[in-house]
Amino acid sequence: MNKRRTVATASMVMAGVLVTAGCGAGGPSAGGGDFTDDKVVLALLNDASGVYKDVSGPNSKIAIQMAIDDYQEKYGDEAVVDDIEVTSADHQNEPDIANTKAQELYDREGADVILDVPTSSAALAVATQAKNKKKLYMNVGAATTELTGAQCNKYTFHYAYDTWMLANGTGTVVTEDGGKNWQLIYPDYAFGQDMVKSFTGAIEAGGGKVAGTIATPFPNDNFATYITKAGAAKPQVIGTMHAGGDLINLVKQYNESGLKDQGIDLAVGLMFISDIHSLGVEAFEGTIFTDAWYWNLDEKSREWADRFMEETGDRPTYAHAGNYSAALQYLEAVQAAGTDDADKVVEELEGKKVEDMFLRNGEIRAEDHRVIHDVYLARVKGPADVKEDWDYEEIIKTIPAEEAFRPASESGCSM
Amino acid sequence: MLEVENLSAWYGEAQALREATLSVAEGEVVTLVGRNGAGKTTLVRCLMGLHKHLTGSVRLDGRDITTLPAHKRARAGLGWVQDDRGIFANLSVEENLLLPPRVSESAWTLEQVYDAFPALGSRRRAGGTTLSGGEQQMLAVARVLRTGARVLLLDEPSEGLAPVIVAQIGDIVRTAKQSGIGVLLIEQNVRFAATVADRHYLLAQGRLVESLDNDEFVERQDELLEHLGI
Amino acid sequence: MNAVLQYTVQGLAAGSFYALAALGLAVIFGVLGVVNFAHGAFYMLGAVAAAVLLDTVGMSLWLALIVVPLLMLVFGMLVERLLVRWLLPLDPLYNLLLTFGLTLLLVDLVKRRYGVSGLPYERPSALDGRVQLAGVGLPVYQLFVIGVALLVCLGVWLLMTRTRVGMIVRAATERPELAGALGINVGRWVTPVFGFGVALAGLAGVLAAPFRAITAEMGSDFIIILFAVVVIGGLGSIVGAVVGGFLVGLVEAFGQAYAPTFAQVLIFVLMAVVVLARPAGLFGREEATA
Ligand SMILES: Nc1ncnc2c1ncn2[C@@H]1O[C@H](COP(=O)(O)OP(=O)(O)OP(=O)(O)O)[C@@H](O)[C@H]1O
Ligand SMILES: [Mg+2]
Repeated sequence: MNKRRTVATASMVMAGVLVTAGCGAGGPSAGGGDFTDDKVVLALLNDASGVYKDVSGPNSKIAIQMAIDDYQEKYGDEAVVDDIEVTSADHQNEPDIANTKAQELYDREGADVILDVPTSSAALAVATQAKNKKKLYMNVGAATTELTGAQCNKYTFHYAYDTWMLANGTGTVVTEDGGKNWQLIYPDYAFGQDMVKSFTGAIEAGGGKVAGTIATPFPNDNFATYITKAGAAKPQVIGTMHAGGDLINLVKQYNESGLKDQGIDLAVGLMFISDIHSLGVEAFEGTIFTDAWYWNLDEKSREWADRFMEETGDRPTYAHAGNYSAALQYLEAVQAAGTDDADKVVEELEGKKVEDMFLRNGEIRAEDHRVIHDVYLARVKGPADVKEDWDYEEIIKTIPAEEAFRPASESGCSM
Repeated sequence: MLEVENLSAWYGEAQALREATLSVAEGEVVTLVGRNGAGKTTLVRCLMGLHKHLTGSVRLDGRDITTLPAHKRARAGLGWVQDDRGIFANLSVEENLLLPPRVSESAWTLEQVYDAFPALGSRRRAGGTTLSGGEQQMLAVARVLRTGARVLLLDEPSEGLAPVIVAQIGDIVRTAKQSGIGVLLIEQNVRFAATVADRHYLLAQGRLVESLDNDEFVERQDELLEHLGI
Repeated sequence: MNAVLQYTVQGLAAGSFYALAALGLAVIFGVLGVVNFAHGAFYMLGAVAAAVLLDTVGMSLWLALIVVPLLMLVFGMLVERLLVRWLLPLDPLYNLLLTFGLTLLLVDLVKRRYGVSGLPYERPSALDGRVQLAGVGLPVYQLFVIGVALLVCLGVWLLMTRTRVGMIVRAATERPELAGALGINVGRWVTPVFGFGVALAGLAGVLAAPFRAITAEMGSDFIIILFAVVVIGGLGSIVGAVVGGFLVGLVEAFGQAYAPTFAQVLIFVLMAVVVLARPAGLFGREEATA
């Protein structure tokens, strides 16, 4: 009760300050555009304190601010809007909290676009809000293909990655490289089940087979016997679909099991560089996974990663970079449309071919709003090959944009 | 050596003791008789510092111990034998004996205890509560004798025991008396009380209604039995 | 057959963490009557402390196995002195709430300081590798964990049964009031016993560091299983905590092997069965007197 009142008071005070500031500036330059409240508000909605905090979390707000700075520097006086704000909220990975927060952000905080939203169920809840409110939503953090599939809508865009892309990268490539016989271990909830479906499809398409699957409780800290059991079937590859702390537990216990020495490899379905950073390269050495982006890809990404590191002290994950790119492309579209009107901005975004430090050969697909781009197959380096902090990945293959994501024709999306 | 003055005690609103004043001298055996619920146990719990809602004072050898915590009263020389005997199931017979610290020079040695109570010696490794009821009572009394306590507070030691064993307890009480120990004996068994005690207090509804020496007590035994409803 | 041997070792290794921590929980419950909800957080702190000490001063696992429990002993005594003590005279529910709150606080502080992704931990290479037994390679580290846990449990058992301190703790556990009336200053033992219980949780955490993800949340599910362990073994029973711990570890391992999705559910089924058959737990005594 009190908390809510404080928040309300705070936002009133802020609104007052902004009105005064607006008066002072006299509002001259806003190039004749058509803006609600004379400003653009970008809202970051993600996990600010839980398991996905390091993957994206508060640092994505800094990434978004960097996009705003770059936009303002690029357009200067030409910018169609001067007043660009970024706000953020914590959804604690709960769909119902995500739902109310999204409502608040759109209605009360005047958000023009919501960014990020990890956790598939939360992401889908926000997509529904975007559709109802007719406001933009660019998802970066969630993995479900539903966002661009059966539950797609005109105002929702999906950046960075999804289960199809992960399975296609890791599943297909590892299978084609000779890992034909798989055992899959997955957490028994929507994400894990989705991943198993996608991986099975990709592995079979690559000429391999999934000989067995093992569902584990979620969350869980003891995987020793699951791993032994998977190993007993003598597969060539064990694929794990776990994330966060569960993944770390599983990898530690896989290393313990001695299966590596028996030539049974571990393929990881979803991994972020923050996972490698927290556990150390030794633990993950040799692990193959699909990466949407890597900070040390080339000059362009590295330059951006240096700026990010100056602000945060850490190297960016692909979620941070994805949020930057999503914010930047949104602002570019606003610039082109001359308004923050959602329908006009969507028109600008749809079908646009994009290149930025995150999107390589990027295209914002009009049919299903999947943002496609080159993705990478990475292998975790051994300690001897690490030359600096966060130098963890060797890119072994670039998967071109048009092969990396589910074809629009198979999406099942109709808007 | 033990002097209790105007002791009143309450359970919440209900008063269980009303201004009880009594004393026990060195080498004296004093009984406290009274019906069920008269307040006898409450009185000894007050003396041990286990019941705290009270007024009045308790002195031991002239020293006011009214506000001392229980463990300090034990160390000052009060030896309590609880009405349910209070034998530790998780401790062996010998551990039950060794648990309380020695508090005076007159403390018994283990050998003395086992001489006096051969049944305990032969079962010294057994779990405390594997003993029979009578043996547990012996153990409880032996335990406070071993500490060298100088005033024993025995809460109905004869209850539920066979006559031979009650007689044995009488012997122990007399031995204790001879070595100068003061004994406050709570009893409903009036006949037994008459065989060991020097003086008697009659407690009714929390009030000490009479104080008798043993001769008067024996004389009025039938009347008292009736009063007690036994 | 080989698989069964592997599952057994895995079960006993997982059970080692449970047994050590549950032992601490049981001792604390016995003497203070406090259901220490923060035990999972103390386990987490043990692991985090080991990781931080390795990272900052290069302290090896060998040293951490001694130093961290000592630090946790001191920390536990402070917690008892500054917090738990004041609520002891009140309904035990208050200390349950206090330790629950303490858990939230500790977890959040660790998150704030060390993030949510977990900390790295490298164990000494002497504990790498596997030993061959009956044709299967058993991880040295798992055997080490089981060995340490058994040694510590044996040590605690000797302490409890062969020393005066142990005798006092047993007496105070069974009848605190009577122990006091027999001249034992029970209050004096409360602080060290709490610290000792916390140190055992910390030790379990150190042992878990090379084996489990070291995150602020690592104790959150652990404490739930621990409660199941002490209910199965018998609240406040020391032997029960140890037997219950290893038993639950085995149930977890064989559950994972033969009924993967139900591995955790099985633990609670076991708990329900034990409670129905013996409400006081396998080694618990029916309350003699209150
Ligand atoms: N814990 C308690 N709470 C409330 N009332 C109590 C409590 N203990 C005893 N009483 C009451 O105080 C009174 C005195 O009880 P107490 O146990 O001292 O009697 P007693 O003389 O020892 O009886 P008995 O011969 O049955 O042992 C009784 O009326 C009893 O009901
Ligand atoms: Mg009584």
